[in-house]
Amino acid sequence: MLSLIYFIVLGLIALGAAVCVLLSRHPLYGALSLVVSMVSLAGIYGLLGSPFLGVVQIMVYAGAIMMLVTFVIMVLNGARDSKTPMFDKVSLFIFPAVIVLAGLIGFALVRAPLAFDATTLRGSVALTSQTLFDVAQTGPGYFILFEILGLLLLSAMVAAVLMAKKRLGSVESENTEGNH
Amino acid sequence: MELQPIFIQILSLAIFAVGIVVAISRRNIFFVLMGIELALNAVNLSFVGFAKTLPAELSVAGQIVPLFTIAIAAAEACVGFAMVILIFRNRESVDADTYSNMRG
Repeated sequence: MLSLIYFIVLGLIALGAAVCVLLSRHPLYGALSLVVSMVSLAGIYGLLGSPFLGVVQIMVYAGAIMMLVTFVIMVLNGARDSKTPMFDKVSLFIFPAVIVLAGLIGFALVRAPLAFDATTLRGSVALTSQTLFDVAQTGPGYFILFEILGLLLLSAMVAAVLMAKKRLGSVESENTEGNH
Repeated sequence: MELQPIFIQILSLAIFAVGIVVAISRRNIFFVLMGIELALNAVNLSFVGFAKTLPAELSVAGQIVPLFTIAIAAAEACVGFAMVILIFRNRESVDADTYSNMRG
């Protein structure tokens, strides 16, 4: 009973913050609403018995990714186009389409027999790390995915630096160097 | 009345729908990227909710996969915002409609 109350409160906060992202005009307010939504989702993970996932959600999503988002918004002055309309005529078709899609998926979900299993393992730090770094030949093999993920993050970082840096020798960089 | 798995899936579906609407209908490029993040979050929640309906050993996978999803979302945000900075330098605008012409 108590878990249901906690779930309803956290779920309402998450959904309300998501709607705030949809309706906010300034991107910075949208980003802050998104942080609220992610933190309450982390609370739901803890409630469901995956505390490690909740902590990772707070550290990586609400910490690192949203820091990047707010940083880029502040650097680029993203409010500069706030006078243009938030929605246009295409949005009129998107709302019913998404509502119909959600209705269809919801119908399929409601008809599916779902029940909590009593023997479900709690996703604690010990269990998650044991499963993730199980290098036995008969193990699940998540450690290979983990190493590939390291390569992916490294290549993403290199790609971001290469794309966002100023081209050396270009007209733009020479102009700024001349000003200094 | 106890907490049912279907409630988690309905919440996940609602957040996913809001994320898709944000990503498609908003014109500001930052909101497009934030809508994608919101939809990814909803899918993570759905994974955990379904994992809790599985018996002992099977339920671990549903709690490992969201970790990978979060890391890939970090890489996606990194590259995505680098592209936004790059396009913004050319167009001086965050309106996605001005990006429709990609001829450089």
